[in-house]
Amino acid sequence: MELSTSQLAGIPVIRIRGEIDHGNASTLSTAIDDLLNTEQHVIILDVTQVDYMDSGGISVLLSALRRLRERGWLGIINPNANVQRLFQIVGLALDSSFRVFDDNAAAEQALRETART
Amino acid sequence: MTHSHIAFSRSITVQPDTSQLYEVRRFVESVAADATLDSERTFDLMVAVSEACANAVEHSGSPGLPVKVKAACRGGRLVIQICDYGGFRLPSTANGFQRDHRGLGLPLMVALMDEVRIAKLSGGGTKVTLSVKLPAPALC
Repeated sequence: MELSTSQLAGIPVIRIRGEIDHGNASTLSTAIDDLLNTEQHVIILDVTQVDYMDSGGISVLLSALRRLRERGWLGIINPNANVQRLFQIVGLALDSSFRVFDDNAAAEQALRETART
Repeated sequence: MTHSHIAFSRSITVQPDTSQLYEVRRFVESVAADATLDSERTFDLMVAVSEACANAVEHSGSPGLPVKVKAACRGGRLVIQICDYGGFRLPSTANGFQRDHRGLGLPLMVALMDEVRIAKLSGGGTKVTLSVKLPAPALC
């Protein structure tokens, strides 16, 4: 798994590449915690290049969501069909603070709407 | 056309470390391809096996006993067994991040597989058996 960080409409985006599992999820967790500690209201994860995720990765998302829920939301860009299916099974897909976007443009639009409110 | 019972059986043994999960998934990918599973069912199987192995690693203790993953094609199913040889232990040494979200693994296995069985091995250890039905016409 490789991580890189960029920004979208002033909000941090972590771009993840590869497979997220029990063996490497703590690396992602640390990267997200670093952003959460800067009082971010929204964090975006671009998972376009994530082929695989198991409960190791799901746990990281749940942790982030728990910390973000009071102040904002967690955005996910472009999960593949299998990963989306996992989100449904574990109930993440029903969480209003967990927002899935098809692409960067859709995420950017949501960020601009959030900034206006 | 008749389908003979091409029952294959392959296994790998890995050290009880979550860094081995990547290698276990490559094994699962390979046997799933041999059993003609589609990409969706292959993904399901990779997740379920990873969850079982992650639990097995936890049981194995340190220095850990190896975890064995065995795949067999039989009775129209691909059956994968994950055996650890440690005593079952409640996870107490996990770090905070792991401790917060215990218990997602088994529900995921059940949701994704056609059958899940968990047995205690007589000499100590745990055997998890996962199986998926093969698409018709099944290879075995």
